[in-house]
Amino acid sequence: MDLDRDHDVYARWLDRMVRVAFVLTASVFALYVFGALRPYVPLETLPSLWGLPLAQYLERSGAPVGWAWLPLIGRADYLSLAAVALFALMTLVCYLRVIPLLPRLQAAFALAQVLVLLAAISGLV
Amino acid sequence: MDPATAPWWIWPIALFALTYLLGIIAVVAGIGGGVLFVPLVGGFFPFHLDFVRGAGLLLALAGTLAAAPLLLRARLANLRLVLPLALAGSIASLFGAVIGLALPTEVVQSALGITVIAVAVLLWRTDPAGHLATESDPLGEILRLKGEYHDPAEQMNIDWRTHRTVGGLAAFAGIGFFGGVFGLGAGFANVPALSVLMGAPLKVAVGSSGLTISIINSSAAWVYINRGAVLPLIAVPSILGIMLGARLGARLLRTMPANAVRHVVIVAMLIAGVRALLRGLGLWI
Repeated sequence: MDLDRDHDVYARWLDRMVRVAFVLTASVFALYVFGALRPYVPLETLPSLWGLPLAQYLERSGAPVGWAWLPLIGRADYLSLAAVALFALMTLVCYLRVIPLLPRLQAAFALAQVLVLLAAISGLV
Repeated sequence: MDPATAPWWIWPIALFALTYLLGIIAVVAGIGGGVLFVPLVGGFFPFHLDFVRGAGLLLALAGTLAAAPLLLRARLANLRLVLPLALAGSIASLFGAVIGLALPTEVVQSALGITVIAVAVLLWRTDPAGHLATESDPLGEILRLKGEYHDPAEQMNIDWRTHRTVGGLAAFAGIGFFGGVFGLGAGFANVPALSVLMGAPLKVAVGSSGLTISIINSSAAWVYINRGAVLPLIAVPSILGIMLGARLGARLLRTMPANAVRHVVIVAMLIAGVRALLRGLGLWI
């Protein structure tokens, strides 16, 4: 039995996800900056907003927080945000995939990490 | 050009160019890139530091995710070593991100400046190689913090193990916290924690540091995403730039003079750190 099979499986899954996410992110960002898809916050307005502290930016732009952006995924800026968020989901997917391959103690650590990631993703923290 | 009157499209192009360059030198200098990105972009671009830190976390995350498969296959990143350390760092980074977004900008900017200047001095003065651990400590033995990798330069398999596990866990919790506050990957601190403190070989320390950043930053990044502190117009060109630059950097790794690049990085960090500190103190807005 290869004791390091978890390394190869983690690497294979991560490699594929990174490639897909890179192409996806570049593609939807092109739709955004070339104006093919309408953003929620107009590009021309952004320079007057991006220098503001977060709280003021949210107040003036009306941008949603938490997962409230999900219904806006048809807008170019939030479609780009969804693509970026894929990068922050990859570790969770890799952990879930390798947990069954890990020795019991390491699997417990990985499971605890999954719970931490889920707490962060859900917006509980 | 006055930043206030410049057209919006100048900035994503400038970010892409800067992060492409950062990607190249970060690989060669053995740093994550976030430690240069946050103070440079926070100091010289028109974006608020809240959004720069959000982009900095995602930039460090994307860069390390892209490199991790290669490092795992070469056994230079060790999942069993990383699992407990990343867990400690992740929990701390969540608190760091929450506190970082709640603190006044001037405080974060000044603290960032001081941290970056201190890291530059540390990089200049310390030898990250450390001393190899010859025996595991009891906790390290239970957690099986050991492994083997093939060193092509030596043409042999190298067995390694780590010690001072409790100290290592505490160090990664501290590093995770600061990473969350400032939006950094903090590879500059991970590598000495793994090599100097825990006694891992430098190559394993560098490889495992990258994998650790990818896990810790996945947690902290969600705090910034959920609070609306990620602007795609800033984050996306930065992510794409660093990923493409890092690929070229990995290819140039053997031919570029690493020591000269390291000196360039230290000077850039000193400039960015002084700028962040002066901006935080209100002396140079």
